[in-house]
Order: sequence, then C-alpha cells, then structure tokens
Amino acid sequence: MAKRSPSSSPEDLSPLAAAREWARDRFAVEDLQHLAAKKQVPVHRYTVFYYLGGMALFLFLVQVATGILLLLYYRPSSTEAFESVQYMMADVPFGWLIRSIHSWGANVFVGVVFIHAISVFFLKAYRAPREMTWVTGALLLFLALGFGFSGYLLPWNTLAYFATKVGTDVPAQVPVIGHLLSRILRGGSDVTGATLSRFYGLHVAILPAITTVFLGLHLLLVQRQGMSVPRKIEREGGPPKTMPFVPAFLMRDMVGWLAAIGVLAALAAFFPWELGVKADPFAPAPAGIRPEWFFLWTFQGLKYLPATVLGIPGETLGVLFLGAVAAIFVLIPILDRKLSRAWNAAAILLLIGAAILTVLALMPVKGAA
Amino acid sequence: MSWLLGTSVGATIAAFVYPIVRYLVPPESSEPSLTEFELDVKASDVRPNSGRIVPVGGKPVLLFRTAGGELKALTAKCTHLDCTVQYREARSDIWCACHNGTYDTKGTNVSGPPPRPLKPLEVKVRGEKITLKLA
Amino acid sequence: MNFFRAAAVLAFAGVAAFSTAQAPAPAAKKPAAPAANSCIDCHLALDDQRVTPPAKAFADDIHAKAGFTCVFCHGGNAAAEDQELAHDAKKGFIGKPTHAQIPEICGKCHSDAAAMKHFNPSLRTDQLSEYRTSGHGKKLAKGDQDVAECASCHGAHGIQHVKDTRSPVSPTRVAQTCNGCHGNDALMKKHNLPSDAYAKWTKSVHYAARAKGDASAPTCNSCHGNHGAAPPEVASVANVCGTCHATFAEKLKTSPHWEPFQEMGLPGCVVCHDNHGIVRPSEAFLGTGPEGKCSSCHDAGSPGAKGAEAMRASLTALAKETAVTRETLDRAAEAGMEVSKVRFELGQSDDALTKARGNVHLFRVAAVREDTDAGLKIAKTAHKAAIKKLQERDYRRNGLFVSLGLIFLTMVALVVKIRTSSP
Repeated sequence: MAKRSPSSSPEDLSPLAAAREWARDRFAVEDLQHLAAKKQVPVHRYTVFYYLGGMALFLFLVQVATGILLLLYYRPSSTEAFESVQYMMADVPFGWLIRSIHSWGANVFVGVVFIHAISVFFLKAYRAPREMTWVTGALLLFLALGFGFSGYLLPWNTLAYFATKVGTDVPAQVPVIGHLLSRILRGGSDVTGATLSRFYGLHVAILPAITTVFLGLHLLLVQRQGMSVPRKIEREGGPPKTMPFVPAFLMRDMVGWLAAIGVLAALAAFFPWELGVKADPFAPAPAGIRPEWFFLWTFQGLKYLPATVLGIPGETLGVLFLGAVAAIFVLIPILDRKLSRAWNAAAILLLIGAAILTVLALMPVKGAA
Repeated sequence: MSWLLGTSVGATIAAFVYPIVRYLVPPESSEPSLTEFELDVKASDVRPNSGRIVPVGGKPVLLFRTAGGELKALTAKCTHLDCTVQYREARSDIWCACHNGTYDTKGTNVSGPPPRPLKPLEVKVRGEKITLKLA
Repeated sequence: MNFFRAAAVLAFAGVAAFSTAQAPAPAAKKPAAPAANSCIDCHLALDDQRVTPPAKAFADDIHAKAGFTCVFCHGGNAAAEDQELAHDAKKGFIGKPTHAQIPEICGKCHSDAAAMKHFNPSLRTDQLSEYRTSGHGKKLAKGDQDVAECASCHGAHGIQHVKDTRSPVSPTRVAQTCNGCHGNDALMKKHNLPSDAYAKWTKSVHYAARAKGDASAPTCNSCHGNHGAAPPEVASVANVCGTCHATFAEKLKTSPHWEPFQEMGLPGCVVCHDNHGIVRPSEAFLGTGPEGKCSSCHDAGSPGAKGAEAMRASLTALAKETAVTRETLDRAAEAGMEVSKVRFELGQSDDALTKARGNVHLFRVAAVREDTDAGLKIAKTAHKAAIKKLQERDYRRNGLFVSLGLIFLTMVALVVKIRTSSP
C-alpha cells in the first residue's frame, strides 16, 4: 500500500472530509470503505424483511446501552435489589425512562428476533451457503431468551421471584442430570439471593460475552455472503435490481430505528414498567403467576401434559420434547436439504412450520386467559 | 435539505444525550437502603421525656428520649389493631389511645389488649444526625 | 351381673327406707384413694340411660383426676357393693341434688381457701359469694327452678378447666352456653327478658373481632361478670365499656350529656351504641336523620341537633378531602410516579380523623373542629403534593412529545433525502 503523506492545508477540506482524511491516514480504512461502498442489497417485493435483522441488532444495542446505565445504580443483592430499582424509578433523574425502555425494549427485542427468525424461515434464507448463519442465529435466539429469563429476576419482586421458581423447576425435569442442572442454575436447592447473584452474572457478563462471539460470527457471515434472495424471485429472472447499502439501505434502516426508539420512549412514558412489591419467599405464591409472554407457550404446554405416559413422568416428556424442538430448530437447514429433493416435502416442512407457529401463538393467548 | 437533516439529527441526539447526562448525576437523597434510615429530626430537637412519630421506610416509628436522656426508637404500630401509639409524658410510658393499651419504654406490652411487644430499632447518633437501623 | 342384681333385690326387700335427705358428707380433706369405687362399677354395669352416662363422663372429669369420687358430692358409701348400703342416707347419700343444693355442694370445697390451696392455689374461692349476688343466685334463693347454677354452665360430671376448649365456659364457648337459656324465647318470655342478645351480639364488631382471633374483644362474661352475672346498672354502663374504651368513657363523663343521662336514668354508651348489637359507628349517627341517634332527645332544628350536624359536617369534610387526595395519589402511582412519602403524610390525616371521631364523645363542636381543621391542613398539603406528582407525569409526557417530534422530524428529513438521492 503506497504511503501517503498527511494532507497539507486544512482549509481546503470541510470538517467531515478532514476527519475522513485523518482516519484514512492512520487506520488504513480504504479497503473497508471500498467494501462498504460496493455492498449492494437486492431489491424485490420481499426486501422489507431485510430490515428485521438490523432492527434486532439496533434493539440489542439499545438494551446494552440502557443496561449499562442501569448497572450504575442497581445493587445485585436480595436485600437491596428491589430498593435500588425503586430508587431508580423514584429519585434518579430519568431513571424511570432508562428502566422502562430497558424492560419494554427487552420484550420488543425478543419479539423482533422471533419475527426475524420466522421471516428467514419462510423466505428460506437458510439455504446453502447460509446454514451457519442460521445456526448462529438460532443460538442467538436462545441467548436472547436467556437474557430475558435472567433479567426478569433482577428487580426481585414477587412476580419475578415466583416466575423464576416455576421456570427453574423445568430443567429439573431433564432425566439424569436434571437436579444438578437446576442446582447449578439456582445456586442452591431453592431460589435465593444466590440465584440472584448467578442470574446477575449471567445477564451482565456470561451471556454478553457469548453473544458477542456469536453475534460477531453472524454479522461477519452476513457481510461476507451478502443478502439471500428468495428462489421465487431468482426464478422470475430479469436484471437483478439492487440498492447500495451505504447510504440508501442504511438510511432506510435508520428511519426504522428512529421509529423504534420513539415507540420505546412512548411506551416508557405512557405505560411505565411496573415494579410491584418486594419478593417475600415466605409468602404463598400469588394467584395467576405466569412467566413473560415469550415463555407462555412452555408454561401452557406443560399444563396439557398428562401426569405420566408409559411410566415416564409427564414433565420429563415435556422437557425432552422441548429439547427435540430446539434441536430441530437449529438443524432446519440440514433437514430442509434432506427433504427438498421432492418439492412437496418442502411444502410439508413449510406447513409444519406454520402449524407449530399457530400453536405457539395460540398457547400464550390461552395461557394469558 | 442536508441542513435540515443535520440539524434534526443533531437535535435528536441532544434529546437522547440530555436525559443520559442528567441520569449520570446522582440525586441529593441518600442511598437506598433497607436497613439504615437517616432522619430529618435533629438529635437536640428530641427533649428528655418526649417522643414523636417519624416515617421510616413508609411505616411509623416512635422516636423518644427517656427521662434519663437515652434516645430510643420503637415501631409505632400497636400490636392490637394497628393504631399509632404515642409517648405519654405524664407516666413516661407508651400508650395506645384506641383501647388503652400500654407499653413500657422497652416496648413490652404491660397492660391492655396488645398481645405482643413493640419492636425496637437500633439508634445511632453522630452529633445531630440520627440514624435508625432495623434491629 | 345377674347375681349382683339378685343380691341387690334381696337386700332391698329387707331394708326399711331411710330416705330422709341428710347433710352430705363433711368438707373434703385430701382424699384417701378408696379401695374401689363401687358407684362407677355398678352404674357402668347397669347400662341404664339415667345413671350410666354420668359414670362414663366422670372418667374425664378434672375432679376425678384430682382423686375425688362420687361420694364427695353425692354422699354414700363407695366401698359397699350392695346398692342400699351404697346409697345409705346415713352416710350422706343425697342422690341427684336439687338445683338449690348444687351451689352449696360445689361451694363446700370451692369456697374453702385452705382446701383449694391443696389443689389449685391460684384459683379464686369467692365464686359462691359472687353467685349469691347474681341475678341467677338471687332468683334461686327465691325458689326459681329455671335459673342457672354451677352445673348448668360448668357441667356436672365431665367438668374441665375453664381454659380447656371442651369446657362450656371456655371463652370461645361461653356465649353459646349463655344462649342455651337466654336464647330460648319461651323461657325468656316467662322471666320477662329479651331472647335476642346472642343473635344481636353475633352481628356486632366484638363478635367479628373475636372471629378474627382477637381474644381481647368482649363476650358475655366480659361485661356481665362470671359468677356474679347481672346486667350492669344503668349508671355503670359507661364504666363497663370504659374498661377497654377508656378514652371515650372519660370524654363522655366530661361532656354535657353526662349529667342529663344520669338524671334521666339513661344507660350511657348504650343510648347511641346499643348493648349487644354494637356495629361500626359512622358519621351518620350524628344528627336527626334516618340513621341519626340524636332525635330521641333532640328535635330537628334544636341547638343540640344543629351541633350534631356541625360535627358531622366537619368529619365528613375531612374524610372526603382525604379520600380525594388518596384517589389522586392512586392515579399518580398508576402513571408510575413515586408517592410513598406523600401517602405517609396523608396517613397523619387519617390519624386526625380518628382523633376527631373520638372527640365526638365530648359533644362540643369546637373540640371536633380542632382536630378536623388540623387534619384538613395536612390533607390539603398532601393534595397539593399529589397534584404536583400528576404535573410531573404531564411534564414527562410533554418531554416525550418533544422528543417524538424531533424524531419524527429526523425521519421526515431522512425520507426526503432517500427520495431525492435514489436513482
């Protein structure tokens, strides 16, 4: 790479251009700039779904930012956690805003991740060569649920405490290692301050570290491979219409992101996230405890399980079924390849996907009722 | 147009940065704590053989100074039917006006309907500052 | 069994009936354990409706456990197996005691302090003398056979300690025991007494308190006494209620109502609050309206009625202000504002209302106004604070709209930029 001498006179450049020059001279960003300028996004009637990934990423970053701000006031001990959140809501300037955005944002983030996964599934963007993108994405979905589950306990209020109690009972149903799993998760045989410490460590250190790795992989793969085009569009033929990623696609992305942050701010102001009452382990469980909406399907499904089936406890079967579903979810690209020899098999896969989705969607409705 | 875009982006960023900067500055009120509570009352305001009700964590507490000069604190909800008790100067004891329940300065229920004693709180005094701690 | 009976019949055939009632056996000292108790043995064996149940019940009796046997109350000879010898009047046998005999039988031990010290030193020994002053005791002395004596309430053969919940006079059961007679319409009519006391009491706040587990709330004997049971004299009603409700009794006694009540023979607290059916009082008691208690003496428009209306107005005003403020705070809390400090201060307004309601018993408008005015000040300050919380909520929403406006503006600018720059 030819060495360039630093630019001579500063007056001939605008501040933005001067900054660019400065960066280029020191970080040799030329080839990256080239890549960014070259990156094209296919334009067709399904292009709108391409925005979902970026939206999920943006919402994740919002969670990280608000989460770091919350870290400055939150105290992860069972005697002080609730009070510290109460303090944030009442006394810290704009504490209510940061906390409500974080709580609402968590739900919107998980929702967008689900929709992103569903759209990728139906658009079959997981086809070769993007199988690993799907696998890392599936893992990211599980990580998102893990964030949601661990974060839910942190305010240490009644709802969170009992929802966690019920939730950590599920791993205990795994055969053989179930009780060990549950103990590791809870930091003991029951949900206590030790559980709070563990979930806090999970939520702010362990899960972020793992997410960084897989998110980095996921994004790298997307950048390296470009956006997938649905087969239907490919078959239509004609000249491929594209738009440059920078600035066209990015600006449209930003419109969406601005709308998202506006929605979150509005939710925070009109529907501030409830704090409730501090958890009292000795009080009886309140009527109607349920987990967050993204776990309602498991919660409701567990209710339909019979007590025993062929001598195996129903809950164990439920947990095994969950494990099977998760495994299938991760391996969809491979299953699809195996089945796509016959086109009707692919249609069957699609139908199964649609059926599962309908069930998943209806269960929370039933569960919330 | 670029000017409009630049200005509105700048203003929006400012609208995000302003709350965050305000958030980072800690408020005047004391740190949240479940166990220790600083009172607004000054130690010298509480005369011997007198008492008053102070809010502690949203609940009433009877802060009083015995005739001998010792500053003490007890929960102020009568254990009978939850009326707020008061310090009775004439007899240097604690009395509940609702049904004539009486407690001594240690909080022990000595007469009347109250079934249980009042709970004591630890009192720490540094100069004029009184801090109460749940025992 | 049959041999027994045969022997008894033969013996009976040869014995003249010395059936004059004689004094029962002398006061008991520490009982020497009898070699056998033929009374129980025979009465159990007879399996007769009249004599077997008492024998069975006595096994559990507190006196049996202390070593007393049938002869200590009924007289006779416990060692004799022959019925006539066992029922020997010369040995003090009296058979089933009459109503009038029972207090004296029980009293022969229970009034003897020296004797009771052997068994239960802390037990009082004045029950009999108290009983003689009671409504029941006085009527029994005149020959009334309907009134209660010791056995009517304590039982006769399965007597338990008062604290034992099996005892009919344990605090949880004594009201129903009283109601056994005092709820009997025919019996009460015969004696010119009301029969609805228990029914009214079950609708009272005292009954509800007891049901919630507050053992300090009164049951029949709390106000009427145990052995000296009699309704309180009209002049003493305030003293009786005042043993718990001391402040109100004191206030009534200094109020302008006290002397007129005494002169007119009105029963103090009961005039407004009833004796058995005491319900939760309300502001509506004050005045000459439908629920008002004043109209029995005060005409509508009279100074007394006007005073009552004034007190009622002050109390209602304070209650209303507190309620409105509380509702505003609830709205602010629902919108996410932190209101615990203001709620605590409003609690002081509740305290002022309680004090003011107590001061009603002074029957002086100024006394009530003093507390309601103080309470209104607190409530109004809290109301202002509550409004401020709502304003803070509005400030947040306005701030939000400003931010949303900026965001929208930026979005519009971006969209325009996109439109104008795309090929």
